[in-house]
Amino acid sequence: MREVALVGAGQTKFGDFPQKGIKELFAEAYAEMLSSVDKGLDPRVIDAAYVGTLGSGGFQLGQVAPLLTGHVGLTGIPSVRVENACASGGFAVFQAVLAVASGVHDVVLAAGVEKMRDLSGEKSRYWLGVSGDTEYERLAGMTFAGIYAMIAARYMEEYSVDRKYLSMVAVKNHANGVRNPKAQMRKAVALEKAMGAPDVAYPLNLYDCSPTSDGAAAVLVVAAERAHEFTDRPVYVLGFGAGSDYLAVHDRETITSFKASVEAAGRAYEMAGLGPEDVDLAEVHDCFTIAELIAYEDLGFAPRGGAPRLLEEGVTELGGQKPVNASGGLKAKGHPLGATGVSQVAEVFLQLRGQAGDRQVRDPKVGLTHNVGGSGGTATVFLLGRD
Amino acid sequence: MGAHISVPMYQRTVPQRYRLVANACTQCGAISFPPKATCPQCSVGREFTPVELKGTGVVYTYTVIAGGGAPPEFTAQARSRGRYPVVMVALDEGPKVVGQLVDCDPEDIRIGMRVRAVMRRIYVEEEVIRYGFKFRPA
Ligand SMILES: [Zn+2]
Repeated sequence: MREVALVGAGQTKFGDFPQKGIKELFAEAYAEMLSSVDKGLDPRVIDAAYVGTLGSGGFQLGQVAPLLTGHVGLTGIPSVRVENACASGGFAVFQAVLAVASGVHDVVLAAGVEKMRDLSGEKSRYWLGVSGDTEYERLAGMTFAGIYAMIAARYMEEYSVDRKYLSMVAVKNHANGVRNPKAQMRKAVALEKAMGAPDVAYPLNLYDCSPTSDGAAAVLVVAAERAHEFTDRPVYVLGFGAGSDYLAVHDRETITSFKASVEAAGRAYEMAGLGPEDVDLAEVHDCFTIAELIAYEDLGFAPRGGAPRLLEEGVTELGGQKPVNASGGLKAKGHPLGATGVSQVAEVFLQLRGQAGDRQVRDPKVGLTHNVGGSGGTATVFLLGRD
Repeated sequence: MGAHISVPMYQRTVPQRYRLVANACTQCGAISFPPKATCPQCSVGREFTPVELKGTGVVYTYTVIAGGGAPPEFTAQARSRGRYPVVMVALDEGPKVVGQLVDCDPEDIRIGMRVRAVMRRIYVEEEVIRYGFKFRPA
């Protein structure tokens, strides 16, 4: 297997952009990625493109990838849409890394995009649920928030955890979002306010949920042996892994851990020869606050039931030992489904190169990204490092 | 906007929705619900005997969906009755299932409480009433 590196990354601001469609968003992220390549990039060297998107509310169901790559002038190359719900972006990067690691391609674009804000509230609620188990979960009147709420209720029961710890995730990630110019939510929130917000699905309230967002992100994945043609400070893919599980949460033995995440992380750590203790910062999938607590445990940052303690001790705050979601996470940066997993990789790329501005983590050497599809049906994990 | 669960899709699962018909693996005896092509317990069994579940079990976890957050096909219900509880039940035979909880104040729901399945109207879509199981305190 060949070594793989990242040499460019870009993303749009996440948020509500009535004037921009998926093509404009994609082009904007692509342009920022191009200009981030230190020694410049002639787009004609790009061998292939993988584009993660859930389907943009049905605006363009078929062949979204060539629609977008054609829009930015990339024609002739294999251009493929990758779909695994909220992990579509992570899996687009995963496919790009596989393509380079295999030796088939040298320079591959991995991108993700989602346009969610064009939908009416009703259509949005209709559409978002379709990545869960529609036959049984949905027929019981369940929503995505409802599924994560069930996970939260069980977690709180199994480990006697107070609801306060869910809100602490929101407070932390909102504080980080203030420092990120690309974030959708740039407003700090006090713990009392986060705890007192109206319920969406008990025990989850409004502040436990990530927003719906428009946005796109793009990274350039290359063979490590060619990385220096593009930059003198590449970021290396030290390890990568992916996993899956039964789509319906009721089919799983436990719901307070995601097997897909555990498998993905295990493979990535093993490939890199690293453990959780080696990770200096992480971007994890906090679509709902409970998901961040479970991620700490699935990624090995804390033992089972130990996630609240990390929050209590401030370990995962921006100035802590192991900052998590310095970007603001899905919660504050925003969650344009297909773009999310790519944006996480772009964030760690910036952090490892010391380009993260006000939210820069002090001298990180190893960063981790963790992207989950829906309620844990799929997941990807990347371990990234620098020279 | 089309239906989430079309009538043909619904019809194929009527034995599960009306009578909780599960699969008993002929290899290892494990009971799975909803039925799958391969036994989730032994991972090799692909032949099954249908068995009807009793519909009794305990609340494994739950949530209370706020009226405003209900999926579109449930907005009529949410509009008339407000928030509604949904429980994941660990059935006595083993499998876990998800269904709404009726005849119980949301404040009184506890993980571990005993419930039993009841046949109820779920919603109307494509002008067809969809019946299925809900749960009530046992
Ligand atoms: Zn079996």
